[in-house]
Amino acid sequence: MRVRSTQSGRWQQVPAGVRDYAAPDAARHSALAASVRSEFMRWGYAEVRTPPVEYLETIVRGAGAGIQDHLFKIVDTGGELLVLRPEMTVPIARLAATRLLLQAAGPLRLSYVADVFRGQDEGRTQLRAFTQAGVELLGEGTLDADAEVIALAATCLRRAGVPDAVVHVGHLGFLDDLLAALPAETQDEIRARLYRKEFAGIEHAIPDPSLAGLLRLLPDLHGDDAVTRATPFATSARSRAALADLETLMARLRDYGLADIVRFDLSIIRDFSYYTGVVFEAYGAGSGYPLAGGGRYDTLLGRFGAECPATGFALGLDRVLSVLPTDGDVSIAVVLVADPSQRPEAIQIATDLRRRGVSVLILGATAEAPITAQRNSYRWVVRMTVDGIVLQDMRTETQRLVDRATLIAVLGTPSGDRVSEWTR
Amino acid sequence: MDPLTLAIPTGRLFADTCALLQRVGWLAAVPTERTLVLPASDGRRVLIAKPADILTYVEQGAADAGIVGKDMLLEQERDVYELVDLGFGSCRGVVALPEAQQERWRQPGTLLRIATKYPRLTTRFFERERRPVEIVQLHGSVELAPRVGLADGIVDLVMTGQTLRDNLLAEVAEVFQSSARLVVNRVSLRTKAAVVQPLVEQTKRTATIRAPVTAAPTTRPTAEGDR
Repeated sequence: MRVRSTQSGRWQQVPAGVRDYAAPDAARHSALAASVRSEFMRWGYAEVRTPPVEYLETIVRGAGAGIQDHLFKIVDTGGELLVLRPEMTVPIARLAATRLLLQAAGPLRLSYVADVFRGQDEGRTQLRAFTQAGVELLGEGTLDADAEVIALAATCLRRAGVPDAVVHVGHLGFLDDLLAALPAETQDEIRARLYRKEFAGIEHAIPDPSLAGLLRLLPDLHGDDAVTRATPFATSARSRAALADLETLMARLRDYGLADIVRFDLSIIRDFSYYTGVVFEAYGAGSGYPLAGGGRYDTLLGRFGAECPATGFALGLDRVLSVLPTDGDVSIAVVLVADPSQRPEAIQIATDLRRRGVSVLILGATAEAPITAQRNSYRWVVRMTVDGIVLQDMRTETQRLVDRATLIAVLGTPSGDRVSEWTR
Repeated sequence: MDPLTLAIPTGRLFADTCALLQRVGWLAAVPTERTLVLPASDGRRVLIAKPADILTYVEQGAADAGIVGKDMLLEQERDVYELVDLGFGSCRGVVALPEAQQERWRQPGTLLRIATKYPRLTTRFFERERRPVEIVQLHGSVELAPRVGLADGIVDLVMTGQTLRDNLLAEVAEVFQSSARLVVNRVSLRTKAAVVQPLVEQTKRTATIRAPVTAAPTTRPTAEGDR
C-alpha cells in the first residue's frame, strides 16, 4: 500500500499537541502502562476509571481558578461548560468524597492509568493529550503513607529502567510557615515569584534578613545536607516540624531500600493552593522535565465535602518513555512462510506456537518474508519447504533444517536465552 | 563531572555575555556570533542561539542553563529558574507614538494599532491600562511600522532613545524594564547541581561587582532594539 502525498489538508493531520501512536511506540506505551499497573496492584492500589469529561466547576473547585487558562473546554448541549480532565487527582477526589469514602471502612488506595488533556499555548512543543499513571492514598495522614507513595513512585521508575532515576523530596510546610509571618501584600508577591521560579533579586523584596537569606539559598537547598543547612532558618514550630518530618521520612525510605535514589530537596515548589506538606518530584537522565510528581494534599477532599488527609503522585508515561532506551523491545516472534498447499500445516504450527505465547505471522510470498521480519523486528523466519522446515535466525543470519517437534519446543520456550543457546 | 550546556544569545547581549564568560573562565576568547556550538573546557559547552530561542532550549533541557533578557522571560513565561540578574543589557520596553501624534495617548478610548515583538506583554499592558489595542507582531525593525502606516505606534526596547528620535517617535509610557538573566532548567538545577551551582555563584559575584549598572550610551549606539 502506498499513500500518495498531495497538498496537505486538515483531514491528513491531527491538531497541534496531540499525536498518533503506531508500532513500535504504541506497543512500548502499552507495555509500560501494563508494568506500572501491575506494580500498583502489587501494592494494593485498586484501579478506578473516571469519565474523560467533567464539569468545569468540579475542576476549578479542586484545582483553583488559575487552572482555567490551561483547560480544553467543551460547551454541552444545554450550554453547560465541560472540560476534558487536565489530571486525575481532582476527579478521584470528587469520586472518593462523594461516593467511595462514604462506604469505605478505612484508608482508600486508588490507582489509574488515564489520558489527560491540557490546552497549552500554541508554539510550545508540549503534548496537549498525554497519559498519566498514578495513585492516591486517601484517609492516612501519616509519614508512613507519604513514604509508601514515594517508594511506589520510585519503584515504578526503577522497574521501568529509567536511567539515573532520582526522587527529590521536600516539604511545603517549611517555607509556607516562614512566609506566613510576612505582611499579606509581601507574602502574595513572594509566593507569586516563587511559583514563577523568579529568584533573581527576590531577597530585595523581603524586609526580614533571615528569610531573605533563605530565599537566596533556596534554589540550592537540596542534597544530603539540605536539612542541616535549612535548620538555622527554621524559626517557627511548624517549620521545624517540617524538617523533622523529612528526616523521619527519609529513614523510612531507607527501610524500603531506596537510600540511593531519594534526596532531600527543600527547593521543590509545587502549587501552594493544592499541596499542603510533603512534596516530591522524580527526574531521570535525558529529560528536562520531571518524570513524576506528587505529594500531600490534605485540604482537597474537604472542598468536595469530605475532610480527609491524602497523598499521591502522577507519572508522565510519555515522558518516562522518552528517556527509556528503544532497543531490547523485540520479543521472540516468528514469520511463517508457506505455499498454499502447506497452509494447513502452517496454521497448525502457528496455533501451537500462539498457545505458548509466541506471536506468529503467516505469509504466502517467500520473497517478502525476510523484509517483513526485519520491518517488524521479528527474529525468526520459518519456511516450509519440500525438504522440511527451515528455521532462519534474522539476528545471526544463520539457518538450519528442523523437524516440527523441535521447532515447537525451541520457539515455544519462554526463555529467549535457551533459543539463542541452541542456535549457537 | 557531568557535562553542562549553556545557551547564550546572539545580538544585543552577545558581547557582554562573552565578556562575562571570559571573566568566569568559561570562554578563552570571544567567538563569532555565527558559531553554533563551542566546546569549552571540563565538558562544558556553550551554544549560541537567537535570543527568542534561548528559553526553549533551557525549558526542554537541551541546554542546562542560559543567558537571556528579562524581556524574553516576561514575554514567553517559560518554566525555568531565573536565578541571577546579571546587571548588563539594561533597557526598558516602552510604548512610543509618532512625535506629531502624542495627543492620541491622552485619549484612552482610542484604538491603537501597535507593532511589537512582544505581543503578550503588550496585550497585558494595554489590558492593565484598560486601553483598546490591536497588535501587529513583527520580528525586527519595529520602528519602521508607524512610518509606513503599518501601525499607529510601537512597543519596543529602548536603551538611549536614539532609534526612537531617528524615526520621529517619542515614548508615551513604560511597559517593562529588562536586563540579562541567568536561567537554569528545573531538572539540571538538581541533577547537575555540582556544575550549575558554581556557575550561579560565579555569575552572582561578577554581577555584584559590576552593580549598579547603567546602560552605556556611547559604546554601542547602533545595537539598540535587539536587531
